[in-house]
Amino acid sequence: MTDFFARLSEDPWLGFLIVIGTVIALYMGRSSAHGAIETFFRLLSSALRLGARSTAMAEKRLKERNREVLIALGKEHAEREINREFFRINKFVERDLGGYPKLQRSIQEQVTTINEDYERSGEVPPPSPEWVAAVDAVAKLHLNEKGSSLTEKILEDIHQAAEEQHREVLVSYRQGMAERHSILKKMAPFWRKLSNSVDQIGTHLQELKKRAQQIDLQMERYEEICNRPDKAERMLKASALTQFTIALIVVAIAIAGAYFNFHLIAYPMSEMVDGSNRIGGARVSDIAAMVLIFIEITMGIFLLELLHVTKLFPIIGSMDDRMRVRGIWVVGGILLAMASMESGLAFMRDYLAVQDRALQASLTGVEVGAEVNWITLAVNMGMGFFLPLALTVVAIPLEYLLHTGRTVMGMLTELLLRLLALTMRILSVSLRHAGRLTIHLYDLVIMLPLWVETTLKSRQQVGKAANGGVLDDSEYFANEASK
Amino acid sequence: MMIKGKVAPMLALGLAMLLAACSGEQVNYKRGVYLLLDTSGTYTEELNKAQQIINFLLANLEAGDTFVVARIDSGSFSEKDIVAKVVLDSRPSAANRQKREFAAAIDQFVVSVQSSAYTDISGGLLQAVEYLNEADVGQKSIFIFSDMKEELPEGYVRDFSLALDGYQVKALNVTKLRSDNVNPQEYLARMTDWQTTIEQGGGRWAVVNDLDRPEALAF
Repeated sequence: MTDFFARLSEDPWLGFLIVIGTVIALYMGRSSAHGAIETFFRLLSSALRLGARSTAMAEKRLKERNREVLIALGKEHAEREINREFFRINKFVERDLGGYPKLQRSIQEQVTTINEDYERSGEVPPPSPEWVAAVDAVAKLHLNEKGSSLTEKILEDIHQAAEEQHREVLVSYRQGMAERHSILKKMAPFWRKLSNSVDQIGTHLQELKKRAQQIDLQMERYEEICNRPDKAERMLKASALTQFTIALIVVAIAIAGAYFNFHLIAYPMSEMVDGSNRIGGARVSDIAAMVLIFIEITMGIFLLELLHVTKLFPIIGSMDDRMRVRGIWVVGGILLAMASMESGLAFMRDYLAVQDRALQASLTGVEVGAEVNWITLAVNMGMGFFLPLALTVVAIPLEYLLHTGRTVMGMLTELLLRLLALTMRILSVSLRHAGRLTIHLYDLVIMLPLWVETTLKSRQQVGKAANGGVLDDSEYFANEASK
Repeated sequence: MMIKGKVAPMLALGLAMLLAACSGEQVNYKRGVYLLLDTSGTYTEELNKAQQIINFLLANLEAGDTFVVARIDSGSFSEKDIVAKVVLDSRPSAANRQKREFAAAIDQFVVSVQSSAYTDISGGLLQAVEYLNEADVGQKSIFIFSDMKEELPEGYVRDFSLALDGYQVKALNVTKLRSDNVNPQEYLARMTDWQTTIEQGGGRWAVVNDLDRPEALAF
């Protein structure tokens, strides 16, 4: 090849002849070459157009599928919320309103007591004085008898008797009033109790009303999802994106927490599990520490599942209540035991660190603090205990991440497919134009023979016009062949 | 059910990957360090420096690592020349205790060492290779704390090639002799000879005179 080019540079005539030959060959094969170029580019363009169409169809199908899934998830979520609200109401009714008959009886008893006390406290009219009749008799005596000593004596006695009885009646009246006041005073706590009971009922009813409003809202949302899927889809998409982002951030924080927890227990773990052996480059003790953390997280997931907080494993959620409660105690106990173990490991970590520092000091001769710092120890142990418990709640964001991840991934795939379809369509159009451009460029290369051909043809046209448009034999057959 | 359907294949894949990782060739991460101490002539004065190096190495060794300190004397191809040896326990507390005992043994040696008349470096190297080949270690390092001038007693033959494939051999604190000062070519030729011997055996050779460099004692 190099020799050929060297020869060409040495002999320009050879090059010229090759160019001329190529141009002639290209001119002669013009029609076939045009066809080949056109077919080639059309083929590519059609393939891309077809690809774009099928990608667009796939995108459409995916979109529909995503929509169905999103709506189904939205419905499920709304149903779950409604169920939860009903569950809460049920609990509320069982707990608070379940004691309503008792409360009613208590109120009735209080009302009866108050009523009785009220009746007892009623004012009894004092009896009419016994000396009224005597006064009437004295009043009927003649005036002239009034100056007699007998009359005076009688009147005097009557006066004394009246005074005495007045005092007695007054004392008795005061006693009666005091008793009534004391009865009324005793009624006050009953009134307060009654008022509290009524207030309590009022609060419960308010709570019930609030919960009912919540259910109404959830029901409205559910109906909206069922009746207006387009709007619901937009809402659910936005909600899924937000939830996905939040869940992702929380899970990332949990991973950071798990990593920190790992470093807290990895070193002391080598005291129990062989730290010199490795699997895939990782120390067995490190793997053991990691497994311990994973088990804690798994226990946390089970615990939240048993508590009906999450719904990752339907089989756990559908367990009967007695089993569930037992499970909660067992899993909770295991979690507490593991947290205590981690706390112990954190203690051991500090102990080993002190030993290490002491060794370093003895080897290097540099004095470093080799005593246990109790604050650090307490903080480490506290973190060792609480971090595993804190990690249990990772189940909640994890569930959200899994639920919304399907939607977000679907949306991303949809977007990618749309972009792919668009790119393919643009490429298809470009290739169609590129085919035309190549044909024009081809003609540009054989421009000279084409010009000669056009000139000759135009002359022939002129000649034919001069001959009255009659073709000779060769022209006739040439035209037929070109047709 | 949808999530279950997605999670199950992922778990299966993870398990498969884990099994694949486990079934592959096991890499031995344990390290073996053999330190040869020259006890000939005036070089014994340098042993305090060697003690610091030993302490540094002890501080950096981990669970499962092997560490041996042996002396180079008139005939070093012998287990009797091993001053102290240890395979560090996997438990940090036990490993700490072993390190203390090792450091104490070296202390005792440095105090009581007597200089030898000859320097059998090749014999010591062969002993180190034999020992580390026998030990269950993946990464093998031989440190030679010496002036690298070999002097053998009459009749001793050290005409052999060493199999040092995968070995790292470092000459530490190679002091210049008086004769080296007279003719530095002697020193250079000595170093070149050792380099050739080690590299022909398949090992990696390095000379470290500045022990303050952080990578000087890397193994």
